[in-house]
Parts: sequence; C-alpha cells; structure tokens
Amino acid sequence: MTTETIIQSLASGLLMGLLYGLIAVGLALIFGLMDVVNFAHGEFLMIAMYATFFLFAFFAIDPLLSAPLVAAALFVFGALIYLLIVRFAMRAKANAGMVQIFATFGLAIVMRGLAQLLFTPDYRSVTHSWLGGKTVSIAGIFLPEPQLVGALVSIAAFAGLYFFINRTDFGRALEATREDPGAVALVGIDKNRVFALGWGLGAALVGLSGAIMAVFFYIYPDVGASFALIAYVTVALGGFGSVFGAFAGGIVVGLVEATTALVLPPSLKSVGIYAVYLLVVFIRPRGLFGSM
Amino acid sequence: MTITRRDVLLGATATATAALMPLAARAQTSEVVIGLTYPLSGANAQIGVDAQRAFETAVDIINKDFELDLPLAKGEGLPGLGGAKIRLVFADHQGDPQKGRAEAERLITQEKVCAVLGTYQSAVAVTVSQICERYQIPFMSADNSSPSLHRRGLKYYFRASPHDEMFSAAMFDFLDAMKRKGTKIESLALFHEDTIFGTDSSNAQLKLAAERGYKVAADIKYRANSPSLSAEVQQLKAANADVLMPSSYTTDGILLIKTMGELGYKPNSIVAQAAGFSEKAFYDAVGDKVEGVITRGSFSLDLAAKRPMVGKINDMFKAKSGKDLNDNTSREFMTMIIMADAINRAKSTDGEKIRDALAATEMPGEQTIMPWKRVKFDEMGQNNDADPVLLQYVGGKFVTISPAQAAVAEPIWPMK
Amino acid sequence: MDKDFSSRRRRDLIIAAVLAAIAALVPLFVKDVYVQNIMILTLMYAALSQSWNILSGYCGQISLGHALYFGLGAYTTALLFMKFGVPPWFGMIAGGLISAAIAMALGYPCFRLGGHYFAIATIVIAEIALLLIQNWDWAGAALGIDIPVRGDSWLKFQFTRSKLPYFYFALVLACVAWFVTWWLEDSKWGFWWRAVKDNPQAAESLGVDVFNSKMGAAAVSAFLVAVGGSFYAQFVSYIDPESVMGFQFSLLMALPAVLGGIGTLWGPALGAVILIPLTELTRSYIGGSGRGVDLIVYGSLIILISLALPRGLVSLFSSRKGAAR
Repeated sequence: MTTETIIQSLASGLLMGLLYGLIAVGLALIFGLMDVVNFAHGEFLMIAMYATFFLFAFFAIDPLLSAPLVAAALFVFGALIYLLIVRFAMRAKANAGMVQIFATFGLAIVMRGLAQLLFTPDYRSVTHSWLGGKTVSIAGIFLPEPQLVGALVSIAAFAGLYFFINRTDFGRALEATREDPGAVALVGIDKNRVFALGWGLGAALVGLSGAIMAVFFYIYPDVGASFALIAYVTVALGGFGSVFGAFAGGIVVGLVEATTALVLPPSLKSVGIYAVYLLVVFIRPRGLFGSM
Repeated sequence: MTITRRDVLLGATATATAALMPLAARAQTSEVVIGLTYPLSGANAQIGVDAQRAFETAVDIINKDFELDLPLAKGEGLPGLGGAKIRLVFADHQGDPQKGRAEAERLITQEKVCAVLGTYQSAVAVTVSQICERYQIPFMSADNSSPSLHRRGLKYYFRASPHDEMFSAAMFDFLDAMKRKGTKIESLALFHEDTIFGTDSSNAQLKLAAERGYKVAADIKYRANSPSLSAEVQQLKAANADVLMPSSYTTDGILLIKTMGELGYKPNSIVAQAAGFSEKAFYDAVGDKVEGVITRGSFSLDLAAKRPMVGKINDMFKAKSGKDLNDNTSREFMTMIIMADAINRAKSTDGEKIRDALAATEMPGEQTIMPWKRVKFDEMGQNNDADPVLLQYVGGKFVTISPAQAAVAEPIWPMK
Repeated sequence: MDKDFSSRRRRDLIIAAVLAAIAALVPLFVKDVYVQNIMILTLMYAALSQSWNILSGYCGQISLGHALYFGLGAYTTALLFMKFGVPPWFGMIAGGLISAAIAMALGYPCFRLGGHYFAIATIVIAEIALLLIQNWDWAGAALGIDIPVRGDSWLKFQFTRSKLPYFYFALVLACVAWFVTWWLEDSKWGFWWRAVKDNPQAAESLGVDVFNSKMGAAAVSAFLVAVGGSFYAQFVSYIDPESVMGFQFSLLMALPAVLGGIGTLWGPALGAVILIPLTELTRSYIGGSGRGVDLIVYGSLIILISLALPRGLVSLFSSRKGAAR
C-alpha cells in the first residue's frame, strides 16, 4: 500500500463524506425540528434524481442549473407531504414514534411503486453534463469534479443553514418551535406553518443533493435504498437534533468507509461505518454533537 | 376443480382469493398454460418487464402463423395438441426465494401450468425448481447462470443456455487465443459482486486462471448497489492488471465505469461476464467511455446476416419493447420455444411426459436464434452444446469476435 | 379492577383457545396449497410479530434489527443439519439459545442507548451480521444453503407436498408466542416492562430492575424469533443471507404488531391476519403487471392504518375488550 493510495483514499472518502452529509442534513433538520425520522428519506432523494434527469432529458438543462429548480420542487413536495401525511402522524396520541416510522415507511413504498408506474423501472442516467466524467488531477491524486462541486455545495449549504438558523426570523421561529411548540403558539407563530416550512427546507436540501448525485449516479425507482441507511447512521452518529452533527457525521462516515476498504475486503466496508457508529454511541450515547 | 373451489370458500382468508379465482378456473383444453416467475417489482423489475416482452414475442410466433425456420412458427398453436394455443401467466417473486416458491406453487396448483420458466435471480431458481420437482412439473432456467443449479440431482430441471463455468471457459479460450497471437496478457483483475452470480462467476474464473497460468492481480468482491466504488476502483488501479474482468449488474456497472474515469484508471481491456454489460441502459449511460469493451454473451445480432430470421424476430421484439434482443431476452425467447417444442412433442400437458420429451430434445442450432451448436440436454438437464460467444462493443453496437466460427471481426486490443 | 383484570385475562385465554381450535380445523376444509401457504405465512408472521412485541411493544425498546435473530435461528438449524446431520428439532433449540445469549450480550451495551440511537444500533448490528455471513464461505456465503428435500420425514421436519405439518407447527408457534405474552403480561416482568416503557427513571426509583427487565425481554423475544427462523429454513428449504437477515425483514416482522396494536396482546395476531393475506394476494394478482401497483396499494394501506388507528386495529375492539392500554 503506497502513500499515494492512502492519500487518494482519504481524499475520495472526504469528498464522498461531504456528500453523505448533504444527503443526510435534510433528515437531521426534520428530526431536530420535530422528532420525526423520515423513513422515506431515500425516496425523496430518488424523486430529486428523477426530477434532475427529466429536466435534462426533456429540456437539456444541466444538473448544475437545474439544482435550484429541483430544490424548489422538492421544497413544495416536502411541505405537501407534511401537510397531507406527517401532520396527522404527529397528532397520534399513542405510539407517536411508531406511527411516524411506519407512516413514512408506507410512504416510501408508495413512492417506489409510483416511480415504477410513472417512470418505468428502466435505469436512467444523465449522459452528458458539464461536470460528468471530468476530473482534476493533483500530483497523481484524482479529484472527480462532480464530487468536488458536490463537496463545495455541501459546505455552502451547511454555512447557509448555519446563517439561516441563527440569523433570520424564520430560523429563530424554527428553533423556538423545536424547543417549545406550545409556547410559540402564544406568541402567534403557527406551528403547522413552521413545520411545513421545515419539511420543505429539509426536502429542498435533499433536492440539492439529488441534483448533484444525478451527475454521476444511476437513477431507478429503488435507488434511494442505497443511501437511506447511510443517511440514518450519519445523522445518528453526528447526534440527533444537531444539524451540524450531520456535517461531521458525513465526513466521519466517508473517511471510515474509505479506510475500511484499505484493510478489509471492500464488500465489508460498511462494517467499518457501522462499527464506528456503535463505538461512538457506546461512549457518547447521544452521538458526537447530539443534544437530545 | 369445483371441489377445490367450494373448499376455498370455507376459508376465512380465502374469500378474496375466490373473487379473483375465475381467471384460473377457466383453464380450457384448447390452451396450454405456462408459468413464468420473474422480478416484476423491486430493484430488478426492469429485467422482469423486458422478459415479459421476450416471452410474449415467442408466444406470438407459436400461436400465429409465421414463415420462419423456427420450431412451431408455421401454423397456429401446437399441432401436437390439436392446435392448442399457449397462454402465459406471470408471477412476481420480487427476488425473494420464499415468494418465488409460493408463486411457483400457486402457478402449479391454481393456474394449472404445465411448465415453469424463470427466474433471473439464481437464488429464486433454487426454490422454484425444488417446488417444480415436488410437483413433477418441468422447470427450465431461461437466464440463471449459476452452475450449482443443475448439479442438485433434480429430474425436472433443464437449462438450454450456458452456465457461468461455460461462459468463463469461453472467456479464457479467447484470452488464450489472443496470447497465442502475441498479445501480452499475464495478469487479470476480477471484480465481482457479493451475490450468488458474482461468487459463482469469480469461483469459475479463479479456477480457470490457475489452470491456464494467469496471475490474478486483484480479486475484488464488492457489495452490490454500493453508494460508492471509489475504494474498489483504486485497488483495481493499483493492481494494474492486463485485463479487467467484471461480474456486475447494470447499476454497479455504470458506477464502476464512471468511477474508473474519475480516478483515471484505464485498463488495456475489459472482458465482462455479461449481466450489466449486455444491457442497453448500461450503454446509454456510459457507452462513450467503453468503446471496445468485450463481454461474453449467449446471443449476437450478427447472426442475422447468416440467419435472416434472427433479424425478423429482433424486429418483432423491438416493436414490443423498444429494445434490441440482448443476452437475457434472447435466452428467454429461445427457452420458451424449446419448452413449447417439447410440449408439442409430448402431445400432452402431463409433467412427466413433457419432462421425457425435453430429455429427448435434439434441436439443431440453425433452428434457434442462438449461436449454439444444438440443444440437447445431458442427464442433469444441462445443454452442453450452447456455445457462448464474445462480443465487442464497437461504434455503438456489438460485433462477434470469438469463437472463430462465429466471429465476424478481429478483436480490437487494447480497447480505446 | 383486579377482578375485572383477571376476568378479562380469563376471557382472553378462552378466546385464544377457541380461535386456535378453529384455526386447527381450517386445513380440513381448505385444501388449496396456495391458500394454505398464505395461512402458514400468516401464522409465522403472527408468531414473529408477537415475539418482537415483547421487547419493542411491552418493554418499549424499539428494535429494527430482529432479522438478526431470525437469521441466526435459520442458519444454526440449517448448518447443524447440513454439516453435522443434527435434526432440525435440536437445531431449533440451539438456534433459540444462541440467539437469546447474543441478544443479552448485545443488550449489555445497547440498552444504555435511548430511542432512535437504540433503534439504529439494532439496524447496524443486524447489517454487520448480514455482511459477515455474506462473506463467510463455510456457511455458504452468498450462495446460501440449499436443504435437499428427499421425501417426507418427521425427524428431518421436511415434507414434499403436504403443507399440514408446517401449518400445525406454525400454529403451535403462534400459540406459544401468544401464551408467553399472555403469561408474562400478568407476571412481575409484565409490570416491570410497562413501568420501564412509561418512564424508566420513575421505574428505577420504584425499585424496578430496569436493566435486567430489558435483558429478560430481549432474551425471550430473541429465542422465539429464532425458532421462527428455524421454521422458515425448514419450510422454504433454502436460505440465503439477504432473504433471512435483510433490513426489510426486520420491518416486515414489526409491521403486523404496529398495525394491529403495538404493546397489546392481540395486536400482532390481528395485524398479521389482515396484512399477510393482503400482501400475498396483491402481489399474486396485481404484481404480475410489473407496474408497481401492488406496492402502491400495500404502501397506501400502511399509511392509512397507521394514521387512522394509531393504537392499531385492536382499538376497533377496545371499547369492548380494553385491550389497548
């Protein structure tokens, strides 16, 4: 194993990790806001990738340009899902946790079925894009441009989110609603509106990552399943309730995945991620940055 | 039949079934029902849907009158059974061996099928063929390539197409031939998924590599449908073998090629164990990056030049599916013809008689759409005369480059 | 109150006995193997979900990794039989004991985790086990284990065409799981679990041994699920890592209890009786279209039931039975 291999592994792992963070942050945001784990998170990603693909296939819009459009579409979609389904799941007086898990699990199955019905099960790909297949080589270390841009988008998204939560009225309303939904009603904040916007924002972030992923990943109705579990582990590793834990969690997951493949057979590389998750929560039961 | 129906009505859970039963109850003597188990939802649904089109094409040809040199094409239906028409019943096994088992049993007992074909995933073929054996109904693997399937001592198991060891042997025959011509091929890198398909394929290749004196520079097993293959590709790149031999489905195939491009890895040549590398979706996605890729196959459209009916049948399939026949769909098509031919010769829908007719099959290669010598099953139900071919992807289509008797072009080596 | 409670318990027991007796007679009238197959799966899922319910429903420790114990049961039985010729009846017990021991060993560090951290820990542990078996050549790796069926044999618990032995075994398993739940509900454990589920801190201060009561629930739950896994291996006569240890399977096992009524005596059975026939029939009769309609129907139903009846289907009967507590 040469130094070059190790550096290349770490670099690839870091880029992938930032993407994992971006994929997971929507989940972390929604969870932090209202304690709901969205089991259809992977399917949100799938929808975003399809949206990117169809914008490319029918209007020849490059994924980089369509990313804001996809994010906006997913914003609407996320808010609708909240208003049509999750709102009712949260009203459950008994077993609220299980109701939410299985209502969103049911949603995931419906979304896969609908994707198969409407889009057919064919594998799709964005065949040519500004970034696709391009790569930057520095001293023998290859940094693929799609992942490089994805990493930058991820960093920018987290910075934006930080600013948003800490510096804007809406962000403060989000935080306040999260801490005490009953009290905010007294000061005239509509809880449902805040939650709907929270779901919209969470979904919009998935939309952003879906547009980036579409550049270098294949697209089909079940594609979300490949990322869903990693997203849950990323969020839990970072700590539920901490949006920035997802950022750290993503980086850790990416690096651990890359280094595990150096020592174990690659088919076992997820074992490294899972083992690190267990190790972290056995030592810190609330993840790296969890507050609740 | 009526007794069963009344009994069914007594079951509390069965009321709903009964409502759906009339479909099954209408089995007439003038039709022959054949069951097909495929993944029709879930990750491999696309394969199942394509397979439906291939089987339907075959049944069209049998049930209607066509001027083709294919068994049963001329005239309508099965002459051996008074012109009976074939009806297909599809069942979705979702890639789950338990569901495949249950569906096979439903097809046999409710739909009264006289034969079962399937299944794409080899794991499902294990249980489906077990059930068929128990009910003495012939099962034919259309597209399963696991060599363990026909070695289980099953009497009702048949496979007309090659298995992974035959495929791998053809790949090594080709490599040997290239070496004799002076091409430097010393080391191989195996890249395979952690499923039955990947494991069988790599086991066969490891054995052949040892026997024929190739160095295996890397043997990389990866998790199917991984979110990233960066680490795997780096190891391939570090091994820098003369030939990369992937055994991957469409999804991982696409990601592999894209990741190779991104990490600046370009092997001299890729010789693939079909699967994803014979799918249109793969070439739609990364065709421009794999000019000159070689894949084993059981089918070649080149054959249309020698055998015009191949082109005609391909056109019929294309009208239904929008795709050319490929490695999977051609085998599915042919399997249906071979099964129908046996039923026709058995002059019966009795499982044992069809089984005996299958065992007596002797179909010359010219009467198939495949590059095979002939169809003749050994005592384990395997057709050992199904010669695989090697295809090279050149200028947006496949050309046959090996074996010599089927080749229409010289291989391009190294690939571009 | 006490009198009410004990009379309700007596009534539950009588109802269960009557239902079991009726169920036992059904195969005498229903000869269609496809329908019998659905009934067997329904009973198997009722048993699995009932067992899952002990840890996750009564004790409140949501496990989304119970496929681990199912797989351990299936693999222990199949490996002992194929490698050493041990009859599956022994493998079943061995698999149950191994699973119970592993559940406790894993419980030791995991039970300190709360809510979602625990649930995700159970998922990743099951995934690790899946990956290890998938890469373990001696255990067949991805190829799985094909158990050859050579004629009918009670010793080997395999039957070529008859479904009845499997049916009655699954019925007994479902009854045992139900009875264990029924019995534990009124035991010291049952009270401890409810206390732990409602408020662990308060339970601790009342002298409940929170940790050990979780360990007990995990062991019982894992043992029964593993026996279910052994049954599956015999019934299907082929196992591979994905089909017995996949993540989806953990969810499928929990689903009947969740839809029927989590933490209730009748919920898992009721959920299984509705859900499993529905799943099988939609796949068989609409799934063949290859257009995903079966998934849409199935998923919509899960959403509707979980939203409309958060206490589960048992709440439809609860005014009469007071089952959902």
